[in-house]
Amino acid sequence: MNLNDEQVERYSRHIILQGVGGEGQEKLLAAKILIIGAGGLGAPVALYLAAAGVGTIGIIDADVVDISNLQRQVIHFTPDIGRPKVESAKEKMNAINPDVRVVTYNELFTKNNALDILANYDFVVDGTDSFSAKFLINDACVLAKKPFSHGGILRFDGQTMTHVPGTASYRCVFKEPPPANAVPTCSQAGVFGAVAGMLGTIQAAEAIRYIVGVGELLTNRLLIFDALRMRFRTVRVKPSELGIQGFRDSYDPPVCELRR
Amino acid sequence: MKFYEPSTVLNSELDTFQADIQAFITGELDPIKFKAFRVAHGVYEQRQPDTYMIRIRCAAGGITPTQLRRASDVAEAYGSGEVHFTTRQEIQVHDVRIEGVMPVIRELLAVGLSTRGGGGNTIRNILTPPDSGVHPDDVFDVDPYAMALTTRMIHEDDSWNLPRKLKINFSTNASDQSYTQATCLGFVAMEQNGQRGFAVYVGGGMGAKPMVGHLLLPFIPDTRVYHVARAIKVMFDKHGNRRSKYSSRLKFLWKKLERDGFLNIFYEEYNKIKADDTLNLVLPTVHNGAPETISLPPVSVTTEAFELWKKRYVVPQKQPGLYTIKIPLQLGDLIREDAVALTDFLSHFGDNCIRCDRAQNMRLRNIPEAYLGNAFTVIDGLKQTLVRHAAFVGNMINCTGAQTCKLGICLPRGLSTAIRNTLSDTTLDLDAIPEFRLNMSGCPNTCGMHHIADLGFFGKVGRKDGNMYPAYNVLAGAKTGAGTTAYAERYGELPAHYIPAFVRDFLKVYIDDKKAGTYADYHTFLQEKGIALIQSLCDTYKEVPALEEDDRFYTDFGAKNRLSLDEIGTAECSAGLFDMLDFDKKMIKKYSADLAKTDSEATESEPATLLGLILFHSVRMLLVTRGLDAKTHEQAFDFFDKHFITTGLVDERFRPLMPIGRANDMTKMVANTDAILDLAKTVNALYENMDDSLRFKSPSGDTIIEAAVASDDTHTVKDFRGVACPMNFVKTKLVLETLKTGARLMVLLDDGAPIQNVPNSVQMEGHTIVSKTPVDGYWEVLIQKA
Repeated sequence: MNLNDEQVERYSRHIILQGVGGEGQEKLLAAKILIIGAGGLGAPVALYLAAAGVGTIGIIDADVVDISNLQRQVIHFTPDIGRPKVESAKEKMNAINPDVRVVTYNELFTKNNALDILANYDFVVDGTDSFSAKFLINDACVLAKKPFSHGGILRFDGQTMTHVPGTASYRCVFKEPPPANAVPTCSQAGVFGAVAGMLGTIQAAEAIRYIVGVGELLTNRLLIFDALRMRFRTVRVKPSELGIQGFRDSYDPPVCELRR
Repeated sequence: MKFYEPSTVLNSELDTFQADIQAFITGELDPIKFKAFRVAHGVYEQRQPDTYMIRIRCAAGGITPTQLRRASDVAEAYGSGEVHFTTRQEIQVHDVRIEGVMPVIRELLAVGLSTRGGGGNTIRNILTPPDSGVHPDDVFDVDPYAMALTTRMIHEDDSWNLPRKLKINFSTNASDQSYTQATCLGFVAMEQNGQRGFAVYVGGGMGAKPMVGHLLLPFIPDTRVYHVARAIKVMFDKHGNRRSKYSSRLKFLWKKLERDGFLNIFYEEYNKIKADDTLNLVLPTVHNGAPETISLPPVSVTTEAFELWKKRYVVPQKQPGLYTIKIPLQLGDLIREDAVALTDFLSHFGDNCIRCDRAQNMRLRNIPEAYLGNAFTVIDGLKQTLVRHAAFVGNMINCTGAQTCKLGICLPRGLSTAIRNTLSDTTLDLDAIPEFRLNMSGCPNTCGMHHIADLGFFGKVGRKDGNMYPAYNVLAGAKTGAGTTAYAERYGELPAHYIPAFVRDFLKVYIDDKKAGTYADYHTFLQEKGIALIQSLCDTYKEVPALEEDDRFYTDFGAKNRLSLDEIGTAECSAGLFDMLDFDKKMIKKYSADLAKTDSEATESEPATLLGLILFHSVRMLLVTRGLDAKTHEQAFDFFDKHFITTGLVDERFRPLMPIGRANDMTKMVANTDAILDLAKTVNALYENMDDSLRFKSPSGDTIIEAAVASDDTHTVKDFRGVACPMNFVKTKLVLETLKTGARLMVLLDDGAPIQNVPNSVQMEGHTIVSKTPVDGYWEVLIQKA
């Protein structure tokens, strides 16, 4: 038992849980999780993982905090406007829990740095807002054999699934990214702030449950919810033999001739 | 001179043990396995967690002044500071932390003292009367035999894994001062046609089921001591009961085989070696005499106190001019200051001047008359002895009781002190009864030797209006003597708090009669008057006031709290578990027989049902040996899979049966008939090859794995009083996580919300609450890990 007295108190509500306990908490403290994107999804994920005592949390984002982010990206505060998001996030995470080592990457997640960064982590949370990034993350995790949580939100809707090697990946649901502009982005269509919190929190729960090894993960299932009517459903996803052998040449969305 | 030579391989064994200790400290070695290693090295955990007692072998009860000083040094450096003298004529160091264990053992070994075999299933300390070699009535000195036999047997590999401990005592004559009929193997010195030899007794023992030993051989030449001891050891090793710790001692083998069967297997071994003179013991020379020069000026004392002391404690030896001196220790403890003073003094008198006796006192020998004044000055100046009391007081024997012993009910140490205090307020002439044996044990086990008492007590629970109070059974009239031993008989019972008054009243009558010479001896007194007296006194002193009127009766002498149920019988659970195992075994046999009877006309369902039952009982049977208690049919299969197949105890080929049995799938039973019957056979074979440490052996005899069974009488104790909900549960849970399945944990919890919540939460996690006991404002909760 390596927990000190303060840790025993801090994590007592986890330790009490059947299936987590001191052993589960020690696994969390030893775990390394990467959050890609310090935005609407990344914010709750980062806060909950830090609070839960995940020992090492990597967070990668190239942006700075913009006033329009504050409606949903709850890890950033008004005085943070103009600061790199990863710096702002790290400060809050350490304020919640000094046990946590936060590793920041103030850069884009690209196919050039993807495998190097992933190599340091046990689990990955996709908190990005573009299809190109989501397919890149999917391919990178499959290639690196890393489990990850996919998440996406738009307007009042959210969807999420968890991949662990051997189960369905994001490409088993969506083979290719949709043509450019076929799907509006958040900036165009808007997003209900609390939806980011709902979905990010589900992703955080997946990451924690994966590390602790408790319950049934959202594997081979896509969870979809509609926060306007507040309905949740899961759709079964069949793993298919896609044979992801390497990165695509380009992750830019294909251009839709018709819409242009 | 040494009283034995520690085993030559001991140093390398100690290196291994040191590594074990390190692994235990870092958590790599689980406490149950560690226990097996440490007990064999004489290291016992005390009732206080992480605190150890170390028992030191003193063959023939002998120890040199240098050795005793070293024992005191290590007690001071690593333990409580006291050297404790036991009823088996050896010494112990108490309150040693785990870090101190190895230094203590090594520093003792440097002066030739060994702790190896202090505990465990081995040849224990070999005893002789404390005045062997110096008493005028000795047939001959038996110390050399005990010393040589000790050295021989602790060098033998096959001495360390017996079915249970084996105790050997020697007596110097037929008065049998070493109680050879009350122990496993006894040798009584005698001469036949000018030849020195021994009468041999076996199969005695006290304990909760006392048995008087039987005459095995009326006479053996003294050259055959080792041959007999070896034959007994080998036959015990081969035939002793290794499975039930309640019937594993040698006495139970006699009971089971009866005289003829026992003699058969004894002679089978004895005849093989009895003619082999190369096995004869090489006896050391034990010189009883004073050193030629004593660099100490004699001190002359002429006080009355000196004369009284001499009368009480000094006895002339058969060697002219030399004396033995008894030093009555208080409850067997020799404190640091006294040890220093004594060993400084004794260093002038050679190596052969100290013996331990069975009443936990020290005996000095070979003290020249001229130095009795010196001895008196030193002994009278000791800080913690009973030397100014009559010898009777220091002769009282008591076990340690519930203070440190897990089996204890009552606290005989407290009672002993209370009796002493009561008697010192009277004018009774205790000097009239110096050899009177007043022995008390805290429970039916006989550590306080109540079976061989003139007046004995052993603890029990009394009840009044549902409230428990400490009480004792009263026994009297043991007879000692080779061939005539008889244990004390029970004549009544008493609340503990009346016992000092009872003893006072009883002794008053006896002393008066003894001084008047009314009866020939104590036994005649008992028969004609004493028994009736005991019975009438038990009647006089039977009324216990209600708890509200006088709660002192409900708290034992020397206890802080009222008598609590938890203190009692925690070690007695495993018998029930083994009953369960036997039940499964019987069921397998029964259903297999039924299966063999089903003929071709039987419907398909009948054999399937029987096979399902055989499979279930086979799977469940051995779970108990690993401390597992399957709550459901499914769990039995899960446990078996995990703890027997995965661990390699049972072959992988049986794994396909697990889902079938788990689901009780009747359609697949008959097709697997051979495999199911094979499994039943395998499990039975495993059980047959299990040793008393519950380790399984392969048919070739190699130990294949050590079962992780929680010993029922050990548990970790954690004090979570003052810890609020839910942190008390959090902490309990964290401790449980570090334990193995079946291990036990005692937590102390506050009354109120803690006791109302924590046990339930623990249970919700699947663990078993063995007991919840209120203790003076808090609770002791015993948990067994699932």
